[in-house]
Amino acid sequence: MGFLVTTLIFSVVGIIASICSRICCNRGPSANLLHLTLVITATVCCWMMWAIVYIAQMKPLIVPILSEGE
Amino acid sequence: MERIEKFIDNLPSMDLMRSEKMTLVQLIIPVESAHRAISYLGELGLLQFRDLNSEKSPFQRTFVNQVKRCGEMSRKLRFFKDQISKAGLLSSVHPVVEPDLELEELEIQLAEHEHELIEMNANSEKLQQTYNELLEFKLVLQKACGFLLPSNNHAAAEERELRENVFSNNDYVETSSLLEQEMRPADQSGLRFISGIICKSKALRFERMLFRATRGNMLFNQAPADEEIMDPLTGEMVEKTVFVVHFSGEQARTKILKICEAFGAKCYPVPDDISKQRQITREVSSHLSDLETTLDTGIRHRNKALTSIGYHLTQWMSMVRREKAVYDTLNMLNFDVTKKCLVGEGWCPIFAKAQMQEALQRATFDSNSQLGIIFHVMDAVESPPTYFRTNHFTNAYQEIVDAYGVARYQEANPAVYTVITFPFLFAVMFGDWGHGICLLLGALVLIARESRLSTQKLGSFMEMLFGGRYVLLLMSLFSIYCGLIYNEFFSVPFHIFGDSAYKCRDATCSDAQTAGLIKFRDPYPFGVDPSWRGSRSELPFLNSLKMKMSILLGVAQMNLGIIFSYFNARFFCSSLDIRYQFVPQMIFLNSLFGYLSLLIIIKWCTGSQADLYHVMIYMFLSPTDDLGDNELFWGQRGLQIVLLLLALIAVPWMLFPKPFILKKLHSERFQGRTYGLLGTSEFDLDVEPDSARQHHEEFNFSEVFVHQMIHSIEFVLGAVSNTASYLRLWALSLAHSELSTVFYEKVLLLAWGYDSFIIRLIGLAVFAFATAFILLMMETLSAFLHALRLHWVEFQNKFYHGDGYKFKPFSFALITDEDD
Repeated sequence: MGFLVTTLIFSVVGIIASICSRICCNRGPSANLLHLTLVITATVCCWMMWAIVYIAQMKPLIVPILSEGE
Repeated sequence: MERIEKFIDNLPSMDLMRSEKMTLVQLIIPVESAHRAISYLGELGLLQFRDLNSEKSPFQRTFVNQVKRCGEMSRKLRFFKDQISKAGLLSSVHPVVEPDLELEELEIQLAEHEHELIEMNANSEKLQQTYNELLEFKLVLQKACGFLLPSNNHAAAEERELRENVFSNNDYVETSSLLEQEMRPADQSGLRFISGIICKSKALRFERMLFRATRGNMLFNQAPADEEIMDPLTGEMVEKTVFVVHFSGEQARTKILKICEAFGAKCYPVPDDISKQRQITREVSSHLSDLETTLDTGIRHRNKALTSIGYHLTQWMSMVRREKAVYDTLNMLNFDVTKKCLVGEGWCPIFAKAQMQEALQRATFDSNSQLGIIFHVMDAVESPPTYFRTNHFTNAYQEIVDAYGVARYQEANPAVYTVITFPFLFAVMFGDWGHGICLLLGALVLIARESRLSTQKLGSFMEMLFGGRYVLLLMSLFSIYCGLIYNEFFSVPFHIFGDSAYKCRDATCSDAQTAGLIKFRDPYPFGVDPSWRGSRSELPFLNSLKMKMSILLGVAQMNLGIIFSYFNARFFCSSLDIRYQFVPQMIFLNSLFGYLSLLIIIKWCTGSQADLYHVMIYMFLSPTDDLGDNELFWGQRGLQIVLLLLALIAVPWMLFPKPFILKKLHSERFQGRTYGLLGTSEFDLDVEPDSARQHHEEFNFSEVFVHQMIHSIEFVLGAVSNTASYLRLWALSLAHSELSTVFYEKVLLLAWGYDSFIIRLIGLAVFAFATAFILLMMETLSAFLHALRLHWVEFQNKFYHGDGYKFKPFSFALITDEDD
């Protein structure tokens, strides 16, 4: 559940960022496409990083074993 | 499929994706407007001239004289600059910018200035020399008077002669004017003396030499001079010693004079009479002060001249540089048969054609020429240069890509994705949000001072750093993000996103050190759970996580690379490449490593205990065996066999068909052409004699086949090695994390444990230095380098050819400051 919600949050952030980049620097269709590509790539990279770390911790095979003195 | 292809074809073009469309143009310029036309084109800066006279040596070219004149003028300008810096003046720019001079006027002016300066310099040199000699004479007089007893042995006549000699030697004549004059030979006592001045460092050897030469029959008195004298050769002040040598005999005198000359000691005559001495001292002093004023006036006059030159110096230098560039370009053009026009060829981007025609029209108008300049498009055989229009931000990334190889004309530019993926991969290896904040501060400082730093001349390291300031900015932002994900702030985890998902099994936490905590709720919402830091099982968990993450990121980037090759094939309308290269490559990579990524994700989602190494290896060794414990999903065995077969088919699919089909296409295209090569060479000369057209119509099948084989083997083996190469993401991030932990725990915490303030301060200082130099500088460079390698090799070798050449237009703005 947390996974889907956060994925949705990432996509919403991505859409907002693309809209912002379209508003702030609107420089013709080819430049706009470039900016859109950059924003989407950044969003996808960030989401992948988060998703990998999240899924890896969903059903872990080992647990933290505290060391002495903690 | 059709719809997807149509959609892709109809997408608007993306800015940086492919290089600008270029065209080869030919210019026919009448001679009177040539210079002006080239200057205006230089200001526009969008045409790369082709050298049509490349076989000629520099001395055979048309405008060699003008180039020589420009070289001569720049030599003069360098001379002025030298003189200005030697005189210690600051060069400033005159607030009023004067109108541009013509080249001939400038030449005359420069010659005048140079002549004037050289004359002034020579005069002041002579004056300075005379001044030095007089100064030395004064010092000799001061000290030598102390040695000499007033003696009555000299007649009045001698004194008069001496005085006359002293006076007559004050003109600006040869340097050897003040050597010892003839002393009266009829000396009753026979004891004479020579007085002079010598460098302090040579005085001892001088004395010894004199002693030996005169066999000890001499008396040597010396005293250090009060002031330092300027050595004319080195321009430094040296200490001198005044000496007086008493001797007898003519032979001794000649010997002593010769030794003085050899040691560079200067001899000055000192009269015996005390009143004489005083008189001469007064005269010398007054002469000295006269000379000083003259010298000062001379220097001021020269400085004034230099300052007035200095006002215009930068303007003149840039003018001369531009003229030289214009003449160099004019040298690349050819005279046509009528010798009235110059013909030139060059590459220019298509969007600039209108601007260029307008500039050429202006040039025709300004030079009052009757004929217009002809500007028309030509066909080209060779490949055009590559030109990307970048701005401040994308320039650094384009340079990073170009450092490996300039893109082929109009092939897909990896810089588009490198803008984001390069800082991202850097951050995966650097992830620590404390260090990221430090990098961010550095990047912001560089960007805030952009306007100031861009005009200064920076050292090579600072220049690289400044050029990459936007790369650094993105790197730092992504590092902060990855640091939050890895949950490391100078290696310390924080509970920013809520409580940890792990807790003790019971209230006493008795088995926390043996069996560990348990997970009692959903995973930590963002990033690595803070409970892992410091636990004994931290490394096994993180290693497993980071290795699998590296594989997933790597497979994603390699797929992106292969998809780029699809876009390239589509753009160049090479369906052969799509069917026999793109498709088998995708199948091969994804049936093996895409499948591995899938297994990783399934294992994570289901929490199975399957051993993925085992699964992958036995997929090849014994694919039909029962999987047993390693079964992750139903039908896995069947799927594995299918994927293995697909991979096996993909290899010959990418190896064999393409060369054969190419051969068939070639023979279809040039069927029957082989008969036409005899005796029809005249028909080919409808083109200009200089532009080359090659008729390379041989198809070397073995060469093509070997090329395809190398390509396929490279891909197949590369699939394994490149995927493994992505594990450096894990390796470097582990190294960074461990270094960070060591510095934190073993330096800072250790020092903080003591009560003493000094030890804590030292600990803090060592921690700061270690963080700044090792983690921030060395690790940044290291992660930068490895991210660069991953892009250059693993990403780009899936689609990039990189064998183009860069567009270097003739532009005044790009003329570098060759400051010598």
